[in-house]
Amino acid sequence: MNADIAIQVRGLVTQFGAQIVHDGLDLDVRRGEILGVVGPSGCGKSVLLREIVGLQEVSAGDISFPYFDATGLAPRLGVMFQDGALFSNLTVLENVEAPLREHTRLTPALRGEIAALKLAMAGLGPEAHHKKPAQISGGMRKRAAVARALALDPELLFLDEPTAGLDPIAAANFDEMTRELAQSLGLTVFLVTHDLDTLHAICDRVAVLYGGKVAALGTIPAITANASGWVNDYFSGPRGRAAGRGVAGG
Amino acid sequence: MAAEAAFDFQEGGRAPILALRGDWTVDTIAHLEADLRQLADRLTPGAVIDVTQLERLDVAGAYLIDRTFRESPGGESARIALRGDHATAKRLLDAARKSAATPAPVPDRPQGLIGFLEIVGRAMAKIWSEIVETVSFLGETLVVLARLLLNPGRIRWVSVVHIMEVAGLNALPIVMLLSFFIGLVVAYLGARILGDFGASVFTVELVAFSMLREFAVVITAVLLAGRTNSAFTAEIGAMKMRQEIDAMQVIGIKPMEALVAPRVIAMLAMTPILTFAAMASGLFGGLLVTWAELGVSPAMYFQRISDAVPEQHFWVGMSKAPAFALALAVIGCKQGLSVGDDVASLGARVTTSVVQSIFMIILLDAVFALWFLEMDW
Repeated sequence: MNADIAIQVRGLVTQFGAQIVHDGLDLDVRRGEILGVVGPSGCGKSVLLREIVGLQEVSAGDISFPYFDATGLAPRLGVMFQDGALFSNLTVLENVEAPLREHTRLTPALRGEIAALKLAMAGLGPEAHHKKPAQISGGMRKRAAVARALALDPELLFLDEPTAGLDPIAAANFDEMTRELAQSLGLTVFLVTHDLDTLHAICDRVAVLYGGKVAALGTIPAITANASGWVNDYFSGPRGRAAGRGVAGG
Repeated sequence: MAAEAAFDFQEGGRAPILALRGDWTVDTIAHLEADLRQLADRLTPGAVIDVTQLERLDVAGAYLIDRTFRESPGGESARIALRGDHATAKRLLDAARKSAATPAPVPDRPQGLIGFLEIVGRAMAKIWSEIVETVSFLGETLVVLARLLLNPGRIRWVSVVHIMEVAGLNALPIVMLLSFFIGLVVAYLGARILGDFGASVFTVELVAFSMLREFAVVITAVLLAGRTNSAFTAEIGAMKMRQEIDAMQVIGIKPMEALVAPRVIAMLAMTPILTFAAMASGLFGGLLVTWAELGVSPAMYFQRISDAVPEQHFWVGMSKAPAFALALAVIGCKQGLSVGDDVASLGARVTTSVVQSIFMIILLDAVFALWFLEMDW
C-alpha cells in the first residue's frame, strides 16, 4: 500500500435505479496535489465527491485514505459546495466560526481571530465580516465558503465547481488563491470543475471521468498526447485550445 | 493519537528560547492561550522558537505563536527566528503573519430607551406598510380576477383543479373530524347547562345555531389558515428564492395569473364546500350527544331543527365562507411573493402568513357578526 496516496478509490460502483453512474471506477489522489476532475455533465463528478466525503452511500467498491490510515488519524475534510451553502441566518464571520465553535474549546476572542485569519487567507477583508450571505456577491460567497471549509485546517479540501459563475478576472484570482492556499498549507485538493482555464492554471493532474470510469489520468500534456474520443474533443475543442494557449503564452 | 501541546520557556541565555512540544493544532491549543499571553512581555527581541520537538502544526497553532510574538515588546514587526527543522513551521508562520486579521467590531445598535423607541417605531412603520401592501395586493388580485372573468379562457384550469384537490379536498377529513368534535362539545355543554334550567330540549337549537352561524365556517377557515396558507406562502416563497418568479416574468407569464389567481379561485370554490361538510359533521356530533344523553331520536332531532331553526342561519354561515377564502388566499400569496432571497425571510413570512390570516378571520367574523346583528338576520 502506497502511503503517499491521500484518497484511494477502488472498484467504485454507483447506481441509481437502473442508471449506472460509476462502473468499477479506480482513482488515486496523491498527497499534496491539486487534482482536477472533469467529465461531461451527468458523468458523476459531484456524486464521486459526495461519496468520498461520506454524504452518499456507494453501491459497491471501496474508498479509503491510505496515508491517513497509516498515521492513525482520520483525515479532516473541508468541502466547498457549488453555491457556497453558507448558513443564511449567520453572518460571514459566524459562518467561519461555526465549525470552530462546534469542535474546539477556543476562547471566543481567539476563535474570532482565527475565523478572521481564514477569511483574510481566502481574500475577504473585515468589511464583509458582519454581512449576511445574501448581502454579498457570488464571488465573495465562494471565498467565504472556502474560508469555512478551511476553518478546522483540513488536510483534504474538496471544491465543487469553484469558479462557476465568476467573471474571468475573479475566476483567475480564485484559482490563484487556491494554489497559494494549497502550497502554503500543504493541502490535497480535489477539484471538480468545467473550467478549462482552472485545469491549465493550477491542477497538477487531471482525471477525466467518462463512461463510469476514469478515462484518462495525468498531466494535461500527457492526456492530450494520446487522447481520443470525448477526451480529445474536450481538450482540443476550440475552448480547450484557447485555454491551453493562454497558459503557454502567459 | 494527538500529542498534547506544551511549551518550555528558557531565559538567561543570550536570548529567550520558546521550545514547542507536541501537536499545535486547532484542537489542542485552547488551554495554551492564557499562558502564552502572560509570556508575551518576556519575549524580548531576538527570542527564538525551538521547533525540534514540535510535531503537527496547523494555521491556528501558527497564528497563536505569531500573535504571541506580535504582542511582545518587539511589536507588530517582531521577527520570528526558528531553531531546528520542521516540515511546515516556517511556511505556516509566514502564512499566518501575512493574513493576520481581527474581527471587525460588531456594528452597534442603539441601546436603552432610544433603542426601544427605535424598535417600536420600526415595528409600527412595518405594520402600516404591511397593511398598505396587503390592501393593494387585494386590489390587484380583484382586478386580475375581473379580467379573467371577462376572458375565462385565460384561467389555468389544470392548476385550479390541482389546488382544489391539494388544498381543499385533502383537508376534508380533518375539517369534518374537528367540527364533529366541536359539535359534540357544544351539545354536552348545552345538555349540562340548559338542563339546570330544565331547558335541555333547547340543546338542539344551541348546536344548530352555533354550528351553522359560526363554528363550522370559522373552524374551516382557521384550519385552512394553518394548513393551506402556510403551504401557499412556502411554495411561492421558495419559487421566489430560486428566481422562478423572475423567470416567469421574463418569459411573459404573469405570476398574478399563473400563481395567485388559481389559488384564489380554488379557495373560493372549496371553502364553501368544506364549510358545508363541517356543518353537517358538527350537527352529526350534536345528534349523537342529544340522542345518548337526552334521548332525542334522530328523526326528532332533524324535525326540531327544521321547525325551530330558520334557514337564514345556514346562509349567514355560508356567506362568510367566500370572504374568508379570499382573505386566506390573498394573504398566503402576498406573503409568499414578499419572501426575500434568504431562508430566514421564508420562515418569517410563513409565520406572518398564518398569524395574519387567523387574525383576519376573527376580525372579519366580528365585523360580520355586527352587521348581521344590525340587519336583524
